Amino acid sequence: MTAAEVRSPSAAPAAPARWPTPPGVRLAWLHWRSRRVPAAVLALAVCGGVLRAALEWGWLFKTGHFAQEFPMIVEGGAAAVLVITTHSPFGEAERTASRWLPYLRLGTALAMTGMAIGIIQLCVTGASLDGGILVMARNVLGVTGIGLLSSLVTGGLLAWILPMGYIAFAEYALLQSWTNPWTWPVRPPTDRGAWLCACLVFGIGLAAFTIRGARTRLAEDG
Amino acid sequence: MTAVALSRPARVLRIEIRRSVVLWSVPLLAALFFFDSFRTVSGFAPVWTVRSSVLTTNMIEDFGPFAAGLAAWVASREGRRKTGDLLAATSRPAWARQLCALGATLFWLLATYLACVAAVYIDTALQATWGGPPLWPIAVGVVEVVTFAVIGFTVGALFPGRFTAPLAAIGGFLLAFIGYHAALGVQPGMSTYALLSPSTAVPLGDAGVFYHVAPDLAIAQVMFMGGITVGLLGLLTLAPVFRVSYRGLLAGISRAGRWLCVAGVALLAAGVAAAATAFALAGTAKPGVSGWDIPALHDAASDQPVPYTPDCAGIALPVCVQPAFSAFLPAAAAALQPAAAELKGLPGAPVRAELVSDGNGTRNTQGMLFAGMPKPGVSGAPPVYNFNSDNGMAPLWGSPAGTDNAGWRAGFQQVFLSAFVAGPPQAGADILTPAQQAVVTALMTAIGSPAPQFDEAFTGNGQVVGGATQAQIAAAAQRFGSLSPAARHAWLAAHLTALRAGTLTLNQLP
Repeated sequence: MTAAEVRSPSAAPAAPARWPTPPGVRLAWLHWRSRRVPAAVLALAVCGGVLRAALEWGWLFKTGHFAQEFPMIVEGGAAAVLVITTHSPFGEAERTASRWLPYLRLGTALAMTGMAIGIIQLCVTGASLDGGILVMARNVLGVTGIGLLSSLVTGGLLAWILPMGYIAFAEYALLQSWTNPWTWPVRPPTDRGAWLCACLVFGIGLAAFTIRGARTRLAEDG
Repeated sequence: MTAVALSRPARVLRIEIRRSVVLWSVPLLAALFFFDSFRTVSGFAPVWTVRSSVLTTNMIEDFGPFAAGLAAWVASREGRRKTGDLLAATSRPAWARQLCALGATLFWLLATYLACVAAVYIDTALQATWGGPPLWPIAVGVVEVVTFAVIGFTVGALFPGRFTAPLAAIGGFLLAFIGYHAALGVQPGMSTYALLSPSTAVPLGDAGVFYHVAPDLAIAQVMFMGGITVGLLGLLTLAPVFRVSYRGLLAGISRAGRWLCVAGVALLAAGVAAAATAFALAGTAKPGVSGWDIPALHDAASDQPVPYTPDCAGIALPVCVQPAFSAFLPAAAAALQPAAAELKGLPGAPVRAELVSDGNGTRNTQGMLFAGMPKPGVSGAPPVYNFNSDNGMAPLWGSPAGTDNAGWRAGFQQVFLSAFVAGPPQAGADILTPAQQAVVTALMTAIGSPAPQFDEAFTGNGQVVGGATQAQIAAAAQRFGSLSPAARHAWLAAHLTALRAGTLTLNQLP
């Protein structure tokens, strides 16, 4: 090697390939990837598949008062899975650098909730799910709200604990035939109070999460 | 030097315990225990075996999923943070770190579980009038919690990721539910493998009272769950070997340590053997006098009745119960005295009422009936009214304070009078004829109780057994009840045999 070779300028780095989609879409996609949304969708599909298998192979009571036991666990589980996507791997740096973050959080939470409902409904189509899509959607909405609120305290990675705790409690409420609207998983599909409570919890959780975002410290310490 | 060397793992364990994430979940587990398990058990009769069943049903459903999820969270820590390479250079092997993390997780889970067990047992001890705390349910419950945790830990260690913990928790939830669903469907003569389920049915109200509960099933469950646990620990020990490619297998064994590999294989083999043996044993289970018996594990001596001195109360009709049900005795005796006074002097009138075994090994829904067990009703010489704790209308179930009401008393009296009017119990003769119903109704009214309901007289399509409507029965009962006590008594004395034989019609009642 000679000095001339060292002095000669190296070849210019190749220009980055131009992204074929608008920057907003790319931003959303990168945000979703950082939250492991594709993996979450896969996990939701697993939840839906398990529910379908249970309906097909008779792992649950198909009719009667206890027919909601198994679907409730899966629907609550799906909500617990989707709130994991609230965790940010970037923490404080992202909060200070991105002014679009609240909108991305809002969009992601709404999209994931919709996807959870859609995927589960797709999986159980034609399998006579007790309560139908109304109860399933109400359960996913309400439990997601609990998870979003929980993520403000525990962080996204541990936000599954409280939703699962609520589902365990709802199982007891189902066995005891509770009628309080805040035990919405055990109420009939058209119960107005149950819908109100579930939507209220989801709305509060969504608003709080949009504004503040999930906590990062506790989950990182765990 | 030795002391210092021994204290190091203990120090690591102490650090893990102090910073364990399970500690944050203890309030949630305690709240779930209170709302679900403790409130449920408070509704059970204060009988040790019945109350201790919550340790392996509700409490496992509360603890199991969280044990699996939290253990998976702890185990996936290194993989989640991608610190595997960093920690590989430390002086301690991977299994030592994992063992400490698992130990800390189990420490908090078991401490919480045992504290909840203590709460259940203390509450039971304050109310129970006979017997002592059974220990097998504690052993089964502890092993089940450990198994859930080890399953979650293994999943977390092998597949680290942010979704592993919630999916492990959901899996634990569903596993407990599917097992419970399968266990409820177990019937004699069919496959009995589902008895190994972590959650099983609540036993009958007098389980362990008249006969000892054989530990056969508990032994099989501990062996099965313990086998799974030991096998998974072996799998965890061998995990570093699995991570290398086939060509590097020998290098992997060398790196993990030859003796460690031998230990891992031994643990895996022992676990699989124990679980398989327990599975095979569960398949041979058959209903016994107090639960399920497994012939290979069964001790015939445990089938002997438990000796006891009955508690009795009542003057017109002594009512005797097993001491475990002493708290129900005042209500039972008070309910039967006026009814017995109405029957006094009649042929076949009972001279004593006695609580007998339910005669079922497990829940009625499993359809188990044992030949030779006394059936509720009036029988024997001198006649004795045998009743059981699983009486559908007035069961000796729940808090004894709940029996202090008119509805319970009326139910108890109706069953007693129906048993007397129907005569000695016979198979398939549980439905009273219209004339028998009218007489029972009249006697109930005479002692100041509300008119009974005989819903069982109706068939599914609304037709009435015996060709009489409820209105006709009520009219006949009113007619019979309007007689003077002496006339009613005399008529019953003269026509009791025909009444019991079912040959009397409503029109033949005075």
